[in-house]
Amino acid sequence: MALGCGVVFAGTVLMRSIDRSMAVGFTRLGADLMVVPEGALTNITAALLVVEPTDLVLDAGLLDRAAIASLGRVAAQKVVRVAGSGVGGQFEAVDLVGFQPDRDFTVQPWLVERINRPLQPGDVILGAGRDGALGAQLLIFGRPHTIYGRLGRTGVGPHERGLFLPFASLEALAPAIAAAAGGRSPPALAPGKASGFLAELAPGASPLEARFALLSSVKGIKVVSGDSTLSGIRQGLSALLGGLLVLMALMVAGLALLVGVLFSAIVTERRGELGLLKAIGARRGQVLGMMVTEAMLVTGAGGVLGVGLGVLALRLFERALVRQLDAVGLPFAWIGPLDTALLGLAAIALAAAVGALGVFVPAWRASRRDVYDLVRGEG
Amino acid sequence: MLSCRGLHKRYRTERGEIEALAGVDLDVAPGTFAAVIGRSGSGKSSLMAMIGGLSRPSDGTVGIDGTDLWGLSDDGLAEFRNRRIGFVFQFTSLLPTLRLVDNVALPALLGRRLGQRAAYERAAVLLDRVGLADYRAAYPAEVSAGEQRRAVIARALVNEPALLLADEPTADLDEQTEIEIMDELLAVNCELGTTLLLVTHNLALAEAAEQVVHIAGGRIVP
Repeated sequence: MALGCGVVFAGTVLMRSIDRSMAVGFTRLGADLMVVPEGALTNITAALLVVEPTDLVLDAGLLDRAAIASLGRVAAQKVVRVAGSGVGGQFEAVDLVGFQPDRDFTVQPWLVERINRPLQPGDVILGAGRDGALGAQLLIFGRPHTIYGRLGRTGVGPHERGLFLPFASLEALAPAIAAAAGGRSPPALAPGKASGFLAELAPGASPLEARFALLSSVKGIKVVSGDSTLSGIRQGLSALLGGLLVLMALMVAGLALLVGVLFSAIVTERRGELGLLKAIGARRGQVLGMMVTEAMLVTGAGGVLGVGLGVLALRLFERALVRQLDAVGLPFAWIGPLDTALLGLAAIALAAAVGALGVFVPAWRASRRDVYDLVRGEG
Repeated sequence: MLSCRGLHKRYRTERGEIEALAGVDLDVAPGTFAAVIGRSGSGKSSLMAMIGGLSRPSDGTVGIDGTDLWGLSDDGLAEFRNRRIGFVFQFTSLLPTLRLVDNVALPALLGRRLGQRAAYERAAVLLDRVGLADYRAAYPAEVSAGEQRRAVIARALVNEPALLLADEPTADLDEQTEIEIMDELLAVNCELGTTLLLVTHNLALAEAAEQVVHIAGGRIVP
């Protein structure tokens, strides 16, 4: 039980940590596909993080309506390149990137520093190439915005020098941008419009399959694929983690079966004691309660020991691998101490529950036997 | 007070059905010392088990002070055993992981009629009565077989039962200890007025009984 519980605890902590590391690491790799208006120019980079500024637009709800099964997460972006915004040099062209905070998966994962609160309307995120103190005010076309955070270096041009705002904040700048541009507002700033979409593939789907599905069901679009190797790794690791979960569930089920057999033997061994307790007046519920409590204490203690062993195993893992990964610049994101403690408690509770389940059936059957047979050890 | 009518007990075995008791009628008056004697396999232990609410008869009734024992629910029967019947089995029946005082207090604690403190006080008094005052904190393995049997008698008395059932209580004891245990049981019968039903194959032990019941082949014989 201790070993099983240790494996479950350490395995779950590791899986959640790997998952978390992946969430940070892989989302930073960008999208698998970019969907832009047909005719829009695209600048293919190693990672698909932002769409290119263009005057062509698509409906922001286009892909939601199309409901392509081979696509996972989809986030729309509005990108406009403006001059005279008041940010940077006087004639510097600045890319203003509008994103959907609740759906975005290519901008926010790159935040390396931010104010300790959720993103709000009126906030702006700076690309890695721009200066500004967190919480300071930044005037964009004369309108005040709070610098919410800064992105890490991506090597993707528009990302490095861009300013990132929620859709609503960027749309609110449309009149000022139009005034600066001689009365013409970029089409992408119209509500309900987007410059393009960044999309992830659904598990098991191939880029070719998604491209075909998109082009056959949505007119007037161009589909740009990212690095297929990275997509493959992301999908493969997701499948591996799923497989590990199934293996762990099977291990727990096997452990429960083993504990059940063990407790069945223990109950048989102790039938004289159970019979005696019933003879002197213990009720069936009392006998059952006693057996279940004992089993929970024993397996729960095994669980405590297992969590201790799991902590040791995680320490060893940290010494053996995580520090080396850190040294070569690959961060490993452990889950927080509270989550780890909760997982430890859950593992102990699971061990106790396995004990309770394992003993319940044999104890219940024994409690229904003829008391005299139990007393004589024949039940 | 104790009234058995038409008691039958049949067991199914690979060789067919065996009838351990074949229609037993028995009455025992309150406060009586009755002995049930017979050879091994005669059905006397089966009779005791049915009277004690430990084994359901195939047919027939057991009445104790007007209560139809086998008409009670499972929990009702457990409560009746706890409050009205004391058992002294033919084997050592103490829980080995509990001290003698814990073993003696256990039926009172299970029945919840007494609080923990009162249950332990009564257990201590009863251990004193059976001569085990110095062994309250001892574990069963630390005392002799005779002392264990005395502790079992103390346990049987903790809820002040109306009926004390003793099934071959001295079967594995030496002669001197056998006499001591029998003296103890007789004292309980005389001093406390507890009805004593002794099951034995030892005719000498039954000599002191006021009522002797012979069983052979599952029937009461003259």
